[in-house]
Order: sequence, then C-alpha cells, then structure tokens
Amino acid sequence: MEVKQGQITDGLLETGIIDTDIHERVLYPDLVPYLDNPWRRYITDCGWIQEKHLPYTQPTVAGLNRADAALPDGRPAGSDLAFLRSQLLDELNIRYGILTGALDPSPSSMNGWHEMATALASAYNDYQIEHWLEKDSRLYGSVHIAAQDPLAAAREIDRVGPHPKMVQVLLPIDNIVWGDPYYHPIFAAAERNNLVIAMHHNEPAVYFGRFPRYFIEWHTLISTAHMMQVTSFVFNGVFEKFPNLKLLMIEAGFTYVPHLMRKMDQQYRDLRHEVPWIKRLPSEIVREHIRFTTQPMEEFSKAEFEQWLDLLGSEEMVCFSSDYPHWDFDHPVGGFPNMRDSLRQKIFHDNALALYPKLPQDQGRCPRCSRSFASSPNCNQES
Amino acid sequence: MQQVVCKLTELQPGELKEIQFGRISLVIGRTGAGELFAFSNRCIHQGAPLSKGKLCGTSAPTDLPGQYSYVKEGEVLRCPWHGREFDVTAGGQMMSDPRRALGRFQIFVAGEDVVVSTLNKPEKGEVADEQK
Repeated sequence: MEVKQGQITDGLLETGIIDTDIHERVLYPDLVPYLDNPWRRYITDCGWIQEKHLPYTQPTVAGLNRADAALPDGRPAGSDLAFLRSQLLDELNIRYGILTGALDPSPSSMNGWHEMATALASAYNDYQIEHWLEKDSRLYGSVHIAAQDPLAAAREIDRVGPHPKMVQVLLPIDNIVWGDPYYHPIFAAAERNNLVIAMHHNEPAVYFGRFPRYFIEWHTLISTAHMMQVTSFVFNGVFEKFPNLKLLMIEAGFTYVPHLMRKMDQQYRDLRHEVPWIKRLPSEIVREHIRFTTQPMEEFSKAEFEQWLDLLGSEEMVCFSSDYPHWDFDHPVGGFPNMRDSLRQKIFHDNALALYPKLPQDQGRCPRCSRSFASSPNCNQES
Repeated sequence: MQQVVCKLTELQPGELKEIQFGRISLVIGRTGAGELFAFSNRCIHQGAPLSKGKLCGTSAPTDLPGQYSYVKEGEVLRCPWHGREFDVTAGGQMMSDPRRALGRFQIFVAGEDVVVSTLNKPEKGEVADEQK
C-alpha cells in the first residue's frame, strides 16, 4: 500500500499502531495525595521540585512540547487524558500506547535523598495506574523506581509490577550506567514480573560529564549516552544472567546501532578474555535482547531506510515511537518513508507486540469472532 | 479558483490564521510590515499544522561563531513541531535548505477583502516524501 504524507492513518495498519513512547505529564500537586508524610510536606510546605541540569531551553516554538499540544485552558501538554486521546490515540489509530512519563520528576535521576526518590516513585506509580492506565484500555504503563537503591527498587517492582497494565520498568539515562552488577536486583525483579527494562534519556551530560556549549550539540549526541548503556548491559553480562530479559532503548533512534554492534563484535574478537562470561558475539546478544525506537527519525528515502535495516541484520529490532507530545514528535506517516506492507506491519505493530509479553497477543483480531478490530468496530472493546 | 477568506481588518500585521480554501487548509498571515502571505498549512517535513506555529524572527547567518543578531522579526514562520524556519518573504523557503519551500498560493487585497487565489498556478513546494 502506498502511503503518502498527509494521509490519515486509519488505513495504515489493520491492526492499529503500537506507540512505545508517550509522555503523560504529571504535575507535582497531582502526586501529593499519593505521598505519605514527611514527603508530602516537603512538597506542600517547602516547595520541593526535582533539580534539572540542562543549561539551555529547547529552542522551539513552545519549549519541550509541540505548540499544538498545549491544552486550550493553558495546562501543559500531555496532562489531560481526554485531549491526549483525541490528538494522539484516536487521530493516529493507536492500538496500544506505552506511557513513559515526563521525566520530571524522575526518581532515578535524583543525585541524593534516595528515600524521597523511592517515595516519589511509588506515588507516581499509584497515580499513573489510577488516572491513566485504568481510564483507557489502550494505555499501558512503566514502573517508576528509585534505582539508586536497587533493593528498594526491586520491592517497588514487586509491588506494582504485577498490575496487568504495567509492561516495563523505566530507567533514565543520566549519569549512571545501569549494567553494573550493583543494579542487577532490578533486573531480577523485572524478569520475575515479566517486565521489559526500558531506558529513556533524561538530561545526560554527554560531554565528558559536562554539557556542550549548544543545545544542538547535546541533542545530536544523545545517542552516545544510549551507546554507553547498551555497551554496559552487553559486557556486564546482564543478558547472560537474566536470559529472559528484554531492553528497549527509547528516543535515540536506531541508526547508531549498526556501528555499535560491529564495533563491539570487533572488540570481543580481540578482548573476549576480559569478559569471559560473554560467550557469543555482542551483535547476537543485541539482536536477541534489545529493541530500539524509531524516534527521532532522520529523513530517509525508501531505499536508505531499507539499507539501514540491512545493516542491522534484522527487521525485528525497531519499534515505532511518537514521543508525543514533545517537540520532536514523529508522525507515523509524515515522519517515515514509504515501505513494504510487511515491514510497516513489523515496525508499527508486530515488533512491539513481540517485545511486550503482557500486551494482548491477538494480532489485532477479536478472539471471539477472529475478525480484525479495525474492520469490525463492534469488537473494538479490548481488555 | 478564487476565494474571499477574511477582511483585511481581521488579519493584523504579525498574525497567522488558518483558513479553508476549498478542500485545502492554508496558513495565511501578514508580516510585521503588513505584507500578506499564503501557504499550504502542512509543514513539508512531517505535515505539522503551520498555523499553530509562530511568526517570529531569527538569528542572522554570520561568519563569526558566537555572534547573535536577531533579524527578520515577523518574517519567519516557525513550525510548531520541529521548529523549522520558513521565510515568508522569500516564497516560503526553508531557511536551512533554500532548495525546499512551502506550497505557495496567491493572496491579495480587493477592497476590504483578503482574497486567496490559484488563478496563477500555485507554486508547488517540494514535498518531503517526493524521494520516498
């Protein structure tokens, strides 16, 4: 099927789309009812908010967000479910959307006060379940944790991870590389709860622990922070220790991956003896265990896009993500070249469905009548 | 095709407005100096609604790293999503790549009315997926 820019997405996929990066926005007052004291009082009395690091603004029309995603009443983009339904889920025919939070607050990014971070993560999870996951059948969630305290984080994963709509544990990319064995209790908890580990950058200092002079440099180099995490996971043997674990790298695209796989393979051939727990080529580990989101998409021709997938050596590693409502949102039609139907089906739906075992594994067809949900609207009441 | 889209008094200098021109959504506006312009309301990158963007200025090209000079106030249409800049006084050229431009329509004043027209064939901007 030829899909041109501007075409509505109704006919894009019979199954609908799985969007692996949707930023719901929580405001600090929203979390207060879910916090016990003293944590609640530190927000209500002391005005605590989490520190941020970037020295720049996001130099766009409306800062971090799409200018057309702000609510008519002035509330921030992503903070209202009804508006998000209308502008994203309904408009783009999203079958499942994975919530990834606004990264503010981001408990695992806090540079201290890990008890507050732990309390904040629990509050966020309870708020997310009540106000988002249980309000729309299409939305699935991320378990937020304070990963600086891995044992407390594992307890939180065991507490909310069994919720049927929690599909992953979210780790920010900032100044900690998470493959270190110190953090492995988190991965054990994720594995026993059938959850994916997902990483999304927050505000990593990508210049030797500092920030480059310009935002355009920082934004260009985000993929280097993701490369550190992938390398850390592979060579620290995370996937050897947790063979059922999957990792999703969110919002650095996928074009850095062929280079990294080839480089890791070459290093492994020379230096295997330093990491003897690694028993196969890193590229094989990556292909089996790690998935990468599409956004932010570079502009590709159809041929260029196919060439890049050839370099990956797999059509199963890339999952569509919109990053709604952020400014570098990718539209599922306008942001992509035309492609084969079979490839479109994988990137916009099947690859994410295979990644998340807790999503209904029905290929978009009603289990009762076997007709597609798209062609049989009366069956379109899933879960 | 020709269509009255609004009164001139309804479109002040520095303003953007979305209008329906037949079946096509257009963004029309006036520069800070009052010059009218009309373009397709779809960004040539990913299709964002340009009427939700901002009519602003930009930093002038310079040979000196670190030098900022804010120019063209009211002449630059910035996309509401990715922030791409289009020069409305230069046919909607994309400022980072002047080979690309927005789809352009004729716009003029007749009496008190603002009129959009395709009587002269609209200059078609490059579309992002032409090479796809």
